[in-house]
Amino acid sequence: MDLEPNKKFVVPIGPQHPALKEPGHFEFAVDGEIVTGATVRLGFVHRGIEKSAESRTYVQNLYLMERVCGICSHVHGTAFTIGVEHLAGVTVPPRANAIRVLVAELERIHSHMLWLGVAAHEGGFDTLFMYSWRDREKVMDILEEISGNRVHYSANVIGGVKFDISEEQRGKILSSLDFLEERTRHYLKVVNEDETFLGRTVGVGIMTREQAESLGAVGPTARASGVERDIRVDAPYAGYEQFPVRMITDTRGDLHARFVVRIEELFEAYRVIREILDHMPEGELTARVPRRIPAGETISRVEAPRGELLYYIKSNGTDMPERVKVRTPSLCNWGSITSVAVGHKLADMPMLLVGIDPCFSCNDRTITIKSAGVDLGWTWEDLRQHGIEAYR
Amino acid sequence: MDTIQELERVETLLKPYAGEMRRGEANRVDVPLEVGQLKAAVKALVDARWGYLGAIAGVDQPAPVEQGGPAANGHTEVIYIFFQGAAAAALRVLVPYEGGSVPTICDLIPSATLYERELIELFGVTVTDTPTTEKLVLPDDWPDGVYPLRKSFTGFDGQQV
Amino acid sequence: MNNISLPPLVALLVFPGGLFLMALGLAYEYIDRKLVARFQNRLGPRWFQPLADLVKLLAKEEIIPDGVHRGLFIILPVIAVAGALTAALYTPLAGFMPAYSFPGDLVVTLYLLSVMTLSMGLAGANTADRFSLIGATRTLTQLFSYEAPFLLALLGPAIAAGSWQISTINLYAENNRWMIFTQPVGFIVAIIGLMGKLELPPFDAPEAETEIVAGALTEYSGRGYALFRLGKDIELVIGLTLVSAFYLGGLANPLEFLLKTLALLLVVAALQSLFARLRIDQTVGLWWRAGAILGLVQLAVIIAGSSWLRPLLFK
Repeated sequence: MDLEPNKKFVVPIGPQHPALKEPGHFEFAVDGEIVTGATVRLGFVHRGIEKSAESRTYVQNLYLMERVCGICSHVHGTAFTIGVEHLAGVTVPPRANAIRVLVAELERIHSHMLWLGVAAHEGGFDTLFMYSWRDREKVMDILEEISGNRVHYSANVIGGVKFDISEEQRGKILSSLDFLEERTRHYLKVVNEDETFLGRTVGVGIMTREQAESLGAVGPTARASGVERDIRVDAPYAGYEQFPVRMITDTRGDLHARFVVRIEELFEAYRVIREILDHMPEGELTARVPRRIPAGETISRVEAPRGELLYYIKSNGTDMPERVKVRTPSLCNWGSITSVAVGHKLADMPMLLVGIDPCFSCNDRTITIKSAGVDLGWTWEDLRQHGIEAYR
Repeated sequence: MDTIQELERVETLLKPYAGEMRRGEANRVDVPLEVGQLKAAVKALVDARWGYLGAIAGVDQPAPVEQGGPAANGHTEVIYIFFQGAAAAALRVLVPYEGGSVPTICDLIPSATLYERELIELFGVTVTDTPTTEKLVLPDDWPDGVYPLRKSFTGFDGQQV
Repeated sequence: MNNISLPPLVALLVFPGGLFLMALGLAYEYIDRKLVARFQNRLGPRWFQPLADLVKLLAKEEIIPDGVHRGLFIILPVIAVAGALTAALYTPLAGFMPAYSFPGDLVVTLYLLSVMTLSMGLAGANTADRFSLIGATRTLTQLFSYEAPFLLALLGPAIAAGSWQISTINLYAENNRWMIFTQPVGFIVAIIGLMGKLELPPFDAPEAETEIVAGALTEYSGRGYALFRLGKDIELVIGLTLVSAFYLGGLANPLEFLLKTLALLLVVAALQSLFARLRIDQTVGLWWRAGAILGLVQLAVIIAGSSWLRPLLFK
């Protein structure tokens, strides 16, 4: 141990640390419990996706892009397909656009509830963590019901969407939404009223509007600081023109505001989904898209659960893109941690880290009933029962 | 519509610095710039509070071999993308492999540091005066002078990407 | 209260010290974990899980990291468990008379219980790991904050009973109105103090896994970690025994012991799942601003009551 008095005492968080579900490395210089400096090092899961996109066809790339993130796979696919469709000059049928928005909002629900649980866990509030994840299963069930997958729903194809919403599914979604809305109301109450929780969130990690703007924060993190920026409102894409959302902002800019903004966004998501289900446009699901995309370049932006997601796509007239640049929202928000951290207590760091909802890979399992050639012949319900029995 | 007005506003703002501007898309104006004018142009945007920096994208443009140019004569196109609502402005500069550099814009927009580090690492663009040049995404033992997002990089030991 | 006389060796190794206490500790750990899990809508562990954890840990290689004092590193877990086991000898475990008893053993017991926390703090400070060092600082900070209120809370019944001998207080509690009703504030301070002592949520800042991994014990593995965990389980039992003996009308027989301590455990488990973790500064603030003051006020009332009021009322 180095006992030089002038040497900073540095607490490393990551690359492997219980607070981080995905590798990232943070170093916090501390004086006692007070943080005096912070640095970030990323790239532990750098997979070279932008490079490999250049040697794959557009269709292959769609599936590659969905795997950029395990939580918000749909928005990546959407941003990419919107860009490619724009380059190809294809208009997507309105029903496909509506389904894209529907899946995007379901994804937002699942992502925000996941975040709520993780953030509560970082604050040592494991009961909230367990409850919110239990309720999140409802939305995972909906996603599985309509797409067959819990995480990579793969709703998009270039030119439209892959699946339709049947009348029966509509009923299931609506009844699940009622349940979720009631639970969300409860969580909002907990977040707003629990004394110990308020003690950990109110006034912690305050980021003023000016700071948020100069640090380039995006998404709910920025909106909690009063920055009115939401791509769904500013530059509506897919079906958001037809099914507009209300922008949720808060002016306080602390951790508590970030909780409130995200939970309020859940209510907005429930409302939009109901709206879509009630006014689903009729028509085709896909439009024809040529295999070779005309040369050109485009920037497509969508509002991911974590904020603005940007795709820059340059095509060269072949069936493979010349260049794909992905700018994920989490990248923008890292800056807000390193500068806001200074002066806070070490105990607040995990919550601050999670406060921006960094894109942690989803730990969710995907169960393949037919795996490695062995047909278990089990339904999802059987597996679930088996899981409950086996660990009782 | 708002977007059109914003695009016209940014065109007027950048007129003194830019070459020939054109509408790349209905909501995007492409602004070719000399490297020397970049900083002034960004400053004009920041001072006028026009939009925010969305990203800095690099695009590799190797010299076409059939035109007889040696590989070292390639360029990296650096695109600074700004957004204001639905309107986008793409400030584009061409940086040659040899001897080219762009000035940092971190003093104007602090959040640019991550994008600049990415440019340095993945494209080998020299960014002068940028606050940090430490590795951001590549492994610590990544060899110097190998820039993975250049078209000439096709993997190590003949492994295809 | 039943009294059984056992040969000293049996008392130390089998009952009430030693094996019995360890088994009881593991059982209580299981109940605690299961209750918290059920409160959190989880399934929770199976009944032998704490034992399985212990056996597994004991079977594992113990890694002694660089930069530690080897002797201390090895001996500290032993001291912790020894302290907890010794403390048990003075408590009315399972509703029987304490195996050993002398006037003033309450103070000795409390200090023996603190040996455990001290050992953990030292164990953390002994290693060069940053998480351990911060964990150790927090463990000791917390020790200084809950110890005084906890002691004050246990002194209340002692003063009411007019003795500092645990068995006497236990007898007094059996024959008088339950002190949870006569001294409610003391009871609350005692139960929260116990949770602070055991570093249970929401007072688990010293081992907050999302901040400092496992706190002071980050570098421990295998045998050492198993012993610390065992020590904590034992402390849980002793703590519950003390609080229920003092505040819940004494422990006269094994059945009463089981019912009262388990009821208390239910309360502790519920409290664990109700709150978000307190930051260490919030913990300290809570204890010194609320806990200590309340404890002192309670104590003042009791002293006033027993020295002035009682002579006046029962002349």
